[in-house]
Amino acid sequence: MTEHRGGASYREQIASAHAGGWRFAGLHATSDGARVRTLLDDATGATRLETVVAERGGVPSIVDLVPAAGWDEREAHDLRGVEFAGHEPLRPLVDHDLRLDRWTVPVRGHDAYQVAVGPIHAGIIESGHFRLHVVGERILHLDARLFYKHRGLERAAEGRTLDEGLAYAARACAACAVANGVAYAHACEDALGFTPDLELARVRTILLELERMWSHLNDLAAVCSGVGLAAGNNHFAALTERARRLNAKLTGHRFLFAAIHVGRSDILLHRDDVRAAAEEVAALRTDARRGWRELRFNRSFEDRLPGIGVVDAAAARRLGAVGPAARAAGVPDDLRACSPRLAYDGFEPVTPERAAGDVQARVEQRALELEQTFAVLERLLDRRIGPSAASPGAQERPIGIGRVESPRGATSCIVERRDDRVERLRLRTGSYANWPVVAYAAADNLLPDFPLINKSFELCYACADR
Amino acid sequence: MLTLLRDLRRLRRSLDLAPPERASSLAVRHVDAGSCNGCEHELTLLSSPYYDLQRFGLGIVASPRHADVLLVTGPVTSRMLEPLRVAYDAMPEPRRVAALGDCALGCNVLGTADDVVGPVDRILPVDLRIPGCPPTPEVIAQALLGLIDAGRR
Repeated sequence: MTEHRGGASYREQIASAHAGGWRFAGLHATSDGARVRTLLDDATGATRLETVVAERGGVPSIVDLVPAAGWDEREAHDLRGVEFAGHEPLRPLVDHDLRLDRWTVPVRGHDAYQVAVGPIHAGIIESGHFRLHVVGERILHLDARLFYKHRGLERAAEGRTLDEGLAYAARACAACAVANGVAYAHACEDALGFTPDLELARVRTILLELERMWSHLNDLAAVCSGVGLAAGNNHFAALTERARRLNAKLTGHRFLFAAIHVGRSDILLHRDDVRAAAEEVAALRTDARRGWRELRFNRSFEDRLPGIGVVDAAAARRLGAVGPAARAAGVPDDLRACSPRLAYDGFEPVTPERAAGDVQARVEQRALELEQTFAVLERLLDRRIGPSAASPGAQERPIGIGRVESPRGATSCIVERRDDRVERLRLRTGSYANWPVVAYAAADNLLPDFPLINKSFELCYACADR
Repeated sequence: MLTLLRDLRRLRRSLDLAPPERASSLAVRHVDAGSCNGCEHELTLLSSPYYDLQRFGLGIVASPRHADVLLVTGPVTSRMLEPLRVAYDAMPEPRRVAALGDCALGCNVLGTADDVVGPVDRILPVDLRIPGCPPTPEVIAQALLGLIDAGRR
């Protein structure tokens, strides 16, 4: 961890790190806005934190070097009052008290008009506002205004004990409760110098993959509903229900709430229960495969998917796309391949053969990842789940970093602590990283395809808004 | 595709919910006022084959103007306060408000006082409370079907 006093050396450091293969993984301001920290990672999963001290309330922007830092800088400005010199115009992100022309990009010309959607949508969808600038049916540009669901969770966590703080990360989002919880637990354990034992790594990996299983099944159901294919939607919705029932059977909760703790796990499962779970996972695998095969032979489904919402590999890298969205574009990044605190032994990221970065590739990516998830679960659900814990001994730090591959991509959690209390919590989820990518993907497509493009990402609003 | 349809018919037959006797219907407009997305995920499954609530006359409608019930999730964030009021004002009479999930009821809410202005009953008159974190599809189904029955009496 380096602390820069001059803005120039901070920018230089980011630029040379970027040139040397380090990638942007998040930026946040400290609670008082006096410092800004940038998290970088590399292909081996190593992380480093570059800190710059604010001078007269501001630091230089890095958004010209790393476009992926755009949302992070806007958030640090709105919530912590930091100015970013060179980020022009610094549009509000979390702050909603401003006129339309302050947060939208001006789109002018003949026949250009705006379609405003939300914050309340027509279906059972989370709240968020989309302003589509269109000519006829063609989308020119999309301004997404989220943070309607902002509950101030990170600020509310400040001053809590490290144990209490977990809820603020995990419960930011029901769909990523395990991923966020494990990222937080890893961050605390990193700060406290704790190392999880093999059984704790195993039980957390099982929970993470159970979450990915229901989430990916749900995503396939959502895409079917996006193209109006009721049979496919119902098939995968039924599998989602079964996956959630399995969660309830194993942990007492359909979304695996309260299954993660800092430094330990309370889950104990008898051999017979684990075997029954393995059998249900195998049955889900059979039924998911059958459903997927049926979809591949359905022309009305297949014809809707290719060539829309394209994010190619270069754009994915530039915009900092993560998770299935990045892998569908042929960027083989997956934190599961470099997670020593978890039990993903020998895991290799998968990308589709036709990694076109369009809706079809993103849908296929979910099906490929489901196979991996079934395989990991099959491997780990082979014996009882016994007592597990993390043990102290490693070096203690004031700042801990936890990183987990959530169903939607790399999630980073940073915990700055004072003794056993949270001084600053920062949660940057896969959804947060990918929302600006959705806006990019929508441009130049037809307006009626936007819901399908959006569903092919299937991002959470809750864990972006926090 | 026929395989899938056959599977679904089998699923439908394995349900243990009572057969539809209700002759009424209920049009529901859902508003997410800052939930964690758990209530939404469970609500979505109400139309999955295991529950299939449409057969009881329960439908999620696109506009509050078509709705009998406003189904509100989440602790009501400051940024959703105005949209929530607009949605309620757009509803025709008679109208009902249902608060779905512990956050909407003000239990164990996480967040800062600046950002969270709920619970729902501080803002709108609540007729139906559905506790749970999140309530299971079964609990939601029973509560909403109860509202249909109450309307018939």
